[in-house]
Amino acid sequence: MHLRRPFRLLRPSLAAALLAATALAARAAEKLSLFAWSEYVPARVIEGFTRETGIQVDYETYASGEEMLSKLLTGGAAYDLVQPPDYIAEAMIRNKLLRPLDAGRLTRLDQIAPEVRALPHDPGMKYTVPYMTGTVGIVVNTAKVKEPVRGYRDLFQEKYRNRIVVVNDNREIVSWALVTLGLDQNAITPANLARARPLVAEWIKLVKVFDSDSPKTPLLNGDVDLGVVWSGEAARLIQENPKFTYVLPVEGYHPFVDVLAIPTTARNVAAAHRFLDYLLRPEVAKLVSDEFPYTNPNLGARRLLTPAQRANPASYPPMTAWNTFRDIGRAAADIDRMMTDLKNRP
Amino acid sequence: MRSGAATPTRASGSRTGWLLLPLAGWLVAFVLAPALILLVISFATRDDLGRVVFAFSLENYGRVFDPVYLGIFARSVGYAALTTVLCIALAYPVAWHIARLGAPWRQRLLLLVMIPFWTSFLIRTYAWITILKQEGLLNGVLRHAGLIAAPLEFLYTPGAVVLGLVYAYLPFMILPLYASAEKVEPSLIEAAHDLGCGPWRTFATIVLPLTRPGLAAGVMMVFVPAIGMFAISDLMGGARVPMLGNVIQDQFVGQARDKPFGAALGVVFLLLFLVSYALLRRRAEVRLG
Repeated sequence: MHLRRPFRLLRPSLAAALLAATALAARAAEKLSLFAWSEYVPARVIEGFTRETGIQVDYETYASGEEMLSKLLTGGAAYDLVQPPDYIAEAMIRNKLLRPLDAGRLTRLDQIAPEVRALPHDPGMKYTVPYMTGTVGIVVNTAKVKEPVRGYRDLFQEKYRNRIVVVNDNREIVSWALVTLGLDQNAITPANLARARPLVAEWIKLVKVFDSDSPKTPLLNGDVDLGVVWSGEAARLIQENPKFTYVLPVEGYHPFVDVLAIPTTARNVAAAHRFLDYLLRPEVAKLVSDEFPYTNPNLGARRLLTPAQRANPASYPPMTAWNTFRDIGRAAADIDRMMTDLKNRP
Repeated sequence: MRSGAATPTRASGSRTGWLLLPLAGWLVAFVLAPALILLVISFATRDDLGRVVFAFSLENYGRVFDPVYLGIFARSVGYAALTTVLCIALAYPVAWHIARLGAPWRQRLLLLVMIPFWTSFLIRTYAWITILKQEGLLNGVLRHAGLIAAPLEFLYTPGAVVLGLVYAYLPFMILPLYASAEKVEPSLIEAAHDLGCGPWRTFATIVLPLTRPGLAAGVMMVFVPAIGMFAISDLMGGARVPMLGNVIQDQFVGQARDKPFGAALGVVFLLLFLVSYALLRRRAEVRLG
């Protein structure tokens, strides 16, 4: 869901992981190959795991869940752990690409918040362990925008033309129009797309920047004053400057869950379970929140956060609904086609 | 290529022919084989997960010629053409003057042309964002100089995309033009001036024909990659209008999960390039006679 670009490979987290890896290579250590989003697993977590277990972690990265799936299916390499978003995990489970977890080896599954345990992509966490969850919501620079912005209808107005950044994610944008029209965000039918089309067309003409990689950047730089962004990005903006606010749109919103799972082609299943179990420790899961302030599904980790971290309205918004994205299969291409067409019109 | 300099005899040529094997292997492994794979996939279909299913279909090609994608293709070509023209206009004087300088200065200036390659392309693009953003360097300088009252919009405009493209590809125009300009005999220019040619006429009748090989190489090296470029339109243009490169990327690693369609776009793109290259070659050969 979060498309991130490969330049992030230059980030220190990876460099540190590589250093740790080379330091241990001399011992011909046991290996764990982790295939995850770029810039999502803190170096401190990987280093800590290697220090404790002696297992060397190869951290390979991708920029979108679809890219991960595509590379996994091509079969160029075997990965022990992958990190799909909810709807990709659902497709992988359905197509028998994930291995059932051995719950006996995961001693702290009870740390996971109850509302995240029974989501439709994997009810009962049989194949996946939630890593981080988040939402997509509205950020406003209140120094520049004085009127309240509560939802998509308030945001996408002519007066904000060229002052808006949104994530460059076609399925997201279409889902906002669907919920605004009172339609099911997961019902990607030709009829629903036709109904959403005029609204989407109107909205995207007002947008100045489409950016999934770092939508906070144009907001920080002052190039735009409003945005629809990943909650973790918004949380960082709020940490940076309290003039930014975050709200879940009144028309409706959806949470997302990024999970960790073991592909059927994994070689080191035992090490994969050890890594999952290590990550479930509250003090380890907390490290993820320190660097990537999304919503931590680990209740013990939440208790270890500072009051400021817990009070960040983007990290811990008042959530009631858990209607995540579902796998839509080939309909994804219909969305892509419609959005390409709309963006292409003057 | 056929510059007769130190041509080996036929016998020694055949004895050293095996030296071409790595090149041939390279071409087969990294040019021919991928192009064939692309061609095969472009006639296939896909399953729900985006896996390629080998069932013959022409549907992908039908979609390529949909007005939406033709429009994107036309826009990408337009941006690339504008970039090429601007690169030519900027590179000619630079290449020409470097070529006319003494050896030590020539070396130093050529080094300066190449130095940007030592830094990652993405980092240089981010540097442009720092310069062009609303609270960036350029707006700051203009404001302090009293030239503008409110910041101007530079970033996330079509102008920013063209600037980024020209910046990225300018060295690829300067270097081949320099290589050609260096070989132009200065006495020819003097003769043209003596015979009453103005600067424009000298350029059109002497410089342009003599530097044509460098110009052709430069156009190829700028125009073709600029059509497929997607990072600049994303980062400096705000991804507001899709380019051909964005559309193809979306099919392979993006949400569309439609590799066969992406492959069909790639094949058509490749064919158009080959055809236009062949036409250019033929025209050049006819002219050279």
